Amino acid sequence: MPSPQTGKVKVVLLYKTCENHLEQLPRFWLLLVHHNWAAILPTSRRNPVIQVVRVQGKIGDPRGEDLAAEIRSTLGIVSVEQVRTVKVYRLENVSVEQADTLAHQLLADPISQSYSLNQPTVIGAFAVREVAYKPGVMNPEVASILKSAADLGITELVAADTSYEYHFFVNGSLDANQLKTIVSRLLVNKTVQRVLESEPTTLLIGGQAGPIRTIAIRELDDLALIALSAAMQLHLNLEEMRVIQEYFRDLGRDPRDAELETLAQTWSEHCGHKTFKAKLVVNGVSKPPLMSRLKAASMACESPIVLSSFVDNSGVIRFDEKFGIAGKVETHNSPSAIEPRGGAMTGSGGVFRDVMGTGRGARVIASTDIFCFAPPDLPDDELPKGCLHPRYLLRQVVGGVRDYGNPMGVPTLNGSVHFHSDFRAKPTVIVGAYGLIPIEDCQKGEPQIGDLIVTVGGKTGRDGVHGATFSSGEMTPDTIENASVVQIGNPIEEKRTSDALINCRDAGLIRAVTDCGAGGFSSAIGEMGSTIGARVNLEEAPLKYSGLAPWEIWVSESQERMVVAVPPESLAKFLRTCKGFNVEATTLGAFTGDGQLLVTYNGEVACDLPMSFLHDGLPQRTMKATWIDREVSSIGSISPDPVTAYHRVMAHLDVASKEPIVRMYDHSVQGSMVLPPFVGVFQDGPTDAAVLQPLPNSSRGIVISHGLNPVLDRIHPYWGSVWAIAEALSNYVAVGGYLTQAALIDNFIWPFPDEESLGELDQAVDACVDIMRELRTPFVSGKDSLSSTYRYPDGSVLKIPPVLCVSAFGSIDNVERTKTSDFKKVGSAIILVGRPDFWGMGGSVYSRVHNVQNGRVPRIHPSELAITLRETTRLLLSSDVLACHDVSEGGVGATIAEMCFGGNLGAVIDLSRFENKLDLGPLSGFFNETAGCFVVEARQDLLGYISDYLTETPWSLIGITQHSDEIVVEDKSIHLSVSLSSLKNSWQQPVKEVFHS
Amino acid sequence: MRMPHVCILRTDGTNCDEETATAFQMAGAVTSFVHVNELRSRDKCLADFQILALSGGFSYGDDVASGQILANELVSNLGDDIQRFVEASKPILGICNGFQVLIRTGLLPFGQLGKVCATLTNNESGRFECRWVKMVTENEPGCVFRPFLIWEAINLPVAHGEGRFFAEPATLEEIERQNLVVLRYSHEGEPTMEFPYNPNGSVNSIAGICDPSGCIFGMMPHPERFTRKVHFPNWRRGDFNKPDGLQFFASAVNYAAQL
Repeated sequence: MPSPQTGKVKVVLLYKTCENHLEQLPRFWLLLVHHNWAAILPTSRRNPVIQVVRVQGKIGDPRGEDLAAEIRSTLGIVSVEQVRTVKVYRLENVSVEQADTLAHQLLADPISQSYSLNQPTVIGAFAVREVAYKPGVMNPEVASILKSAADLGITELVAADTSYEYHFFVNGSLDANQLKTIVSRLLVNKTVQRVLESEPTTLLIGGQAGPIRTIAIRELDDLALIALSAAMQLHLNLEEMRVIQEYFRDLGRDPRDAELETLAQTWSEHCGHKTFKAKLVVNGVSKPPLMSRLKAASMACESPIVLSSFVDNSGVIRFDEKFGIAGKVETHNSPSAIEPRGGAMTGSGGVFRDVMGTGRGARVIASTDIFCFAPPDLPDDELPKGCLHPRYLLRQVVGGVRDYGNPMGVPTLNGSVHFHSDFRAKPTVIVGAYGLIPIEDCQKGEPQIGDLIVTVGGKTGRDGVHGATFSSGEMTPDTIENASVVQIGNPIEEKRTSDALINCRDAGLIRAVTDCGAGGFSSAIGEMGSTIGARVNLEEAPLKYSGLAPWEIWVSESQERMVVAVPPESLAKFLRTCKGFNVEATTLGAFTGDGQLLVTYNGEVACDLPMSFLHDGLPQRTMKATWIDREVSSIGSISPDPVTAYHRVMAHLDVASKEPIVRMYDHSVQGSMVLPPFVGVFQDGPTDAAVLQPLPNSSRGIVISHGLNPVLDRIHPYWGSVWAIAEALSNYVAVGGYLTQAALIDNFIWPFPDEESLGELDQAVDACVDIMRELRTPFVSGKDSLSSTYRYPDGSVLKIPPVLCVSAFGSIDNVERTKTSDFKKVGSAIILVGRPDFWGMGGSVYSRVHNVQNGRVPRIHPSELAITLRETTRLLLSSDVLACHDVSEGGVGATIAEMCFGGNLGAVIDLSRFENKLDLGPLSGFFNETAGCFVVEARQDLLGYISDYLTETPWSLIGITQHSDEIVVEDKSIHLSVSLSSLKNSWQQPVKEVFHS
Repeated sequence: MRMPHVCILRTDGTNCDEETATAFQMAGAVTSFVHVNELRSRDKCLADFQILALSGGFSYGDDVASGQILANELVSNLGDDIQRFVEASKPILGICNGFQVLIRTGLLPFGQLGKVCATLTNNESGRFECRWVKMVTENEPGCVFRPFLIWEAINLPVAHGEGRFFAEPATLEEIERQNLVVLRYSHEGEPTMEFPYNPNGSVNSIAGICDPSGCIFGMMPHPERFTRKVHFPNWRRGDFNKPDGLQFFASAVNYAAQL
């Protein structure tokens, strides 16, 4: 390729060699352009030739069919009969003949697809729209196309892009507004995509690097400081801005842009956890910070399984003599609210990197996904301005989790979806990851003076600038306009990076590793070098395109990047290993020992701050909280038809089968799954927790579960939080996990901490602390996200329900000891273990489907829970226990139904065992949702000795399994028969409808 | 008899390599992970191996089409090596993404490198499907990977979005005439087109096929994910005989040991 240089114009075309030894491929282009290049370049470059290949399917178009169904069902635009999709490839700087070769040999499948060159392939549609990525958004397919073209000997291809055409065939009319709705609601996410209006003239992106600016803040008054914080999207408050101002006044100079950005990122709520570290004053009484209470209670558990707790990117507990299990659960709510697919993908990618960046590096072996949305049938007019519809969010978030975990080869094996209409302003998207790590590598690595700073994996772009500060802010109608904070993940980049790093770890080449998450290099290098200092040459960072200002490179959150501290003597081997996996690795600088963070760009200083100010300069906050205990009295009276009520409970989205979602996730990859999400005769009975056997030659397993209940959290944050922990651990114990081997992870997803919300948060933390004291089960990792607030244009506020999500994980000595939920045999005893709080019907699905508001929620006393869980753990070791399922949303009624579905067996239930403390109908006790209770199927023999196991835990015989297609519920005065097959239909239908399955 | 050496091919996006290696080891083979870069650079040589395994995953992100970029790379850069491997009657296995690669190289169904005759396209449902399926094997094909028993119900998991086998009627007829179909999705013992028993809408219920020599074999289901009793979701119900997946590896290893 020529590097044209003419006159005053300087166009530098660089290309790096592909990592293959044989070929040189123009895979990575960097184009630096000065002045108006198009006007002066030679003709051949002035109009770069772009060939357009359009590919369409010959044997059906599932993508088009799904879209047409979604247009008709979700948007109600029934005139759209058919949508045909066409994939468009634009190929720059190749001849027509070369484009034809590429189309024929690479882009179109000869059997199932046809293509056209530089002309339409579908004709006769009522309307056509083409959707492409916006310039600058990384299209992961492009690198593959360039590579494959080179494999075919076509090295002239300098750039490519892909997009989709949608051809709408209509019966009747489709007006401009309807078409606009289709495009905006279903086709384009304007954060990353656009409708292509005209043919692009070039696909190359270029620009001039921005300068390093100095921001004059020393003379600003308070108002101007606040204005500056807002204008630069720093999300720092006045007190923090004043601290910075004071610091630079003392220094006698103004800060550079990268310095302010570094401080804003490091001090952001997202990275700095200011609220969790703040001194609290609750109802006028001082209390230690939330974080220190959690850590102290965790330490006091003195759990022998804990290897690394609250210090690293994930918590690590013991698996066996050689390995530990790393666990981390993250939220990705703000990005998912505005670009759900990309947000969910980068959420998965980020939490996987947290595990990859633990100790000297863990291998990711499992992931979980937990979502909260508004109901998918939310009327459009109830949607706050600037928010996306929950049905679209749900489908897109599920797609995002699928499109990261599956290609990365990480089984997604445990999760749940919860619904409440107040999630309409912002969903909660929680993704967890677990990894296996050699014990000798599991402690957080400490870079040594002279170690090199190496960035590994993806390149840096403008995408994801300001993610950390953005995630710390409230949602407003304008948030969705905030373009560059979300990006498209590239799981293949992350997978090969992980493979390369594990090879390097095992070869002893890594001193320390961390991921580039929120805050990018700034956060990763700033934290790694926090005690010894670091020097960074920012111009070395590989870029996706030119034109980034140094501060943008420094704080960009471009995905799939890791930062590694490599001892100088290991560098050559480290770089060689990465190259063998097609992974780019570049030395950015070194850890210095001078305690200073010095960042330069081509010799010019971009940031020069002492680590001590960066990490300790932020004054500890004192925050006020208010808590008034809520004693909610009786909640009215209802008397619904019992059979109808049973169906309505099972069809409620919080109870309904999530199988259509689960089937889209690969949960069997890695060959480790030994207890999948669904089991039973038809493999449609849900299980309580996942169990994997990660090492093929060891019978040891890992149990993973979780629990949360936003509805209860909103009514009462303490009892709701206890419920969440009880649910997580009940799920864990129900499959045969041992309580003593479990550890917990917290995720507090809370509204912006005003006094009231902070008071509620304080209650939730109290719940965690109380549980740890009684159960001695430690939390080892956690995350807070305190931005679940939506601010309407008129200033009024919608608080999204608070969520404490609790994840449990731990090892089990033999996976063959685990249990499933499906009924196994006819004539088994059905036993209820635990003490339901029959007064607590508040927030239950039964109450909600009958519009009974609030009321007292189930109270699970931590001390009693500890006994139940310990004794149930022991009980489940008995071979006379055939099945076990814990009680959660939908109560015992749902628990029994799900056990029947799995086993394809009926049951007779003695209703007299369920008390009706409230006037809510004869079955209300049957639908009580006290977590920490279990339904156990056992051989009748067990009844003879069950009291040996359950010495303090209440239990009762509530029924018997039978060979029938019905659940019979009866006592002296009532006899009901509910058809299992129709009940199953009610339970399976709702989510199927959302996913057209 | 010596232990056959299996080349487990790796590249960007390969993700079932570890469990595939484990399955071959359980079947008595020695395995090595070989990155495609190492074959291209001649650091490693395909001729040194007795079995080539293309495991599941998303090679190069399944960009353009599943398996397409790797298929193109193999045909363009390693065609001669592969041709010699085929001519030596050494077994080649493609699982899921590996099957997609074999189809797109032309090695399946007719063993003709560079001549694509069939495809694995988007599931009819339009969705990625992860579930266990039942299959029946047929008695005719001399496939070196075929489990020992015939017409037996085989349980294995599938996990793919592009697994719908499709070919033109004439091609399909030729495939059937030469008895190249090794596995068909089934319901109640009979081949089926009904979802979810046939999870992707494959024509003639095709789940796995071999080439006329019987040495090249590809399947969408994952035999490496059923090599132990506990892999089966319902082993606790007692309805379990043997880990069906392991048999495919055992057959091929037995064969290769004689080479």
